[in-house]
Amino acid sequence: METISVTWILLDGTRKSVAVETGGNLMQAALDNGIDGIVGQCGGSLACATCHVVVEEAPSALPEIAPDEDDMLDMAEPERLPESRLSCQLVALPELDGIVLRVP
Amino acid sequence: MSTAPIYEIDPKTFWKDPYPDLKRMRAEAPIAYVPQLGATLLTRRDDIFENEKKIEIFSSDQPQGLMTVLMGQNLMRKDGAAHMAERKAIFPSVSPKTVKSVWKAQFETETAKALEELRPLGRADMVKDIAKRVSGEALKAITGLTNMSWQEMDRVSQGMIDGCANYAGDPEVEARCHDCTGSIDRHIDGMMPLLRETPDSSMLSVQMQAGLPEEAVRANIKLTISGGQNEPRDVIAGLVWTMLTHPEQLALVRDGKATWLQAFEEYARWISPIGMSPRRVARRYEAKGVTFEPEDRVFLMFGSGNRDEAAFEDPERFDVTRDTSQSIAFGAGPHFCAGAWASRCLIAEVALPMIFENLPGLALAGEVPFGGWAFRGPLEMPVTWGTIVS
Repeated sequence: METISVTWILLDGTRKSVAVETGGNLMQAALDNGIDGIVGQCGGSLACATCHVVVEEAPSALPEIAPDEDDMLDMAEPERLPESRLSCQLVALPELDGIVLRVP
Repeated sequence: MSTAPIYEIDPKTFWKDPYPDLKRMRAEAPIAYVPQLGATLLTRRDDIFENEKKIEIFSSDQPQGLMTVLMGQNLMRKDGAAHMAERKAIFPSVSPKTVKSVWKAQFETETAKALEELRPLGRADMVKDIAKRVSGEALKAITGLTNMSWQEMDRVSQGMIDGCANYAGDPEVEARCHDCTGSIDRHIDGMMPLLRETPDSSMLSVQMQAGLPEEAVRANIKLTISGGQNEPRDVIAGLVWTMLTHPEQLALVRDGKATWLQAFEEYARWISPIGMSPRRVARRYEAKGVTFEPEDRVFLMFGSGNRDEAAFEDPERFDVTRDTSQSIAFGAGPHFCAGAWASRCLIAEVALPMIFENLPGLALAGEVPFGGWAFRGPLEMPVTWGTIVS
């Protein structure tokens, strides 16, 4: 199974990089790897905004924010930034190898 | 039947106060078969959080379940793509944006009207006169059944809830449930032509606009009513009671050291208005030494998970400053409550602040019994307040 490297900058500023299998979403990857601060309550059904991340470095352009994600990001805690995304909507694709996400 | 250890309960005691039994279950038998309920209960927060997402095992599709039989198959009783398609269709009626831009003003208008009418009386029952009405008016707006009275909204909601919990098959309860679903269908019949003419953001209208089959539209409206009336009602009244019995917590909110939203989230954790969600085991599965067989009935005990000592420090204490991010009051996984944002707005932004602002000197004036474990809230709540002499 192909993997990509995903790095989270944790709440205390430390970095954690893990190999994530391609095809799944980055919210699930965070839960599987015990990333504190990513709760992922709704399991990716765009209903909770508890998988909010700030994209610090993206190796290629990310998919555009769909209206439903945009709506939900408005409710994210802490307040959204221009680089904010819901990690449930980011799929681990080969072009995202090396992506760096900050837990806000 | 699963191989989980057996845990016996006294149903009456459990209904009155399920927390001592749930605490024991979490400690001694976190996955337990309760013969009195005919179900295997998951009581620990992480077990629920993890397993609710395994829809291929713990399925929401329960064709023989009372809810499906009595109310039609709604989106909460579907899984996977079928569930997501309907969920997407209803999103425009309950999205945070719609709640803010459309429903909030209506919540405020109706709550203000109720409080203005009651204020000169100086006393009321917080459950029956205020919470029921505020909740019912909000639900009328969101569902699109504006041709229904708030009293009827509460009646039909309760009738369906009772019908869905009628495991003993009491014919009277079943007949009342049919009467309630019949009433909803007649109100839907009344609104459909108007909404065809003038579409809006209501649940009925957005489903029609999305072209969902009428059968699904009707079932989802019934689901919204069965789930959208009692929870806000129980939380509005329950949270008022909690604040009045925890004045130091009320002071934190009044002094701006905590928000009503924090108080709301903490109450929903502490006394979860939905304490349980049922699942049907779709295929043989083993977890933590317990084997589940196909067609086993499983109850995910949210109310217990939210008092799990492993997830919350001193979980039986009500503390508005607590980090509630581990709470599963709205569920966990694909069936996460679609009405979460509407309820946060109705309760934390509108009802609670307006009640405390408009009823100065609000105080309890009698006993406040609580009941229920699947749905839990205060049953009655006499209150008084100071009247303004002009």
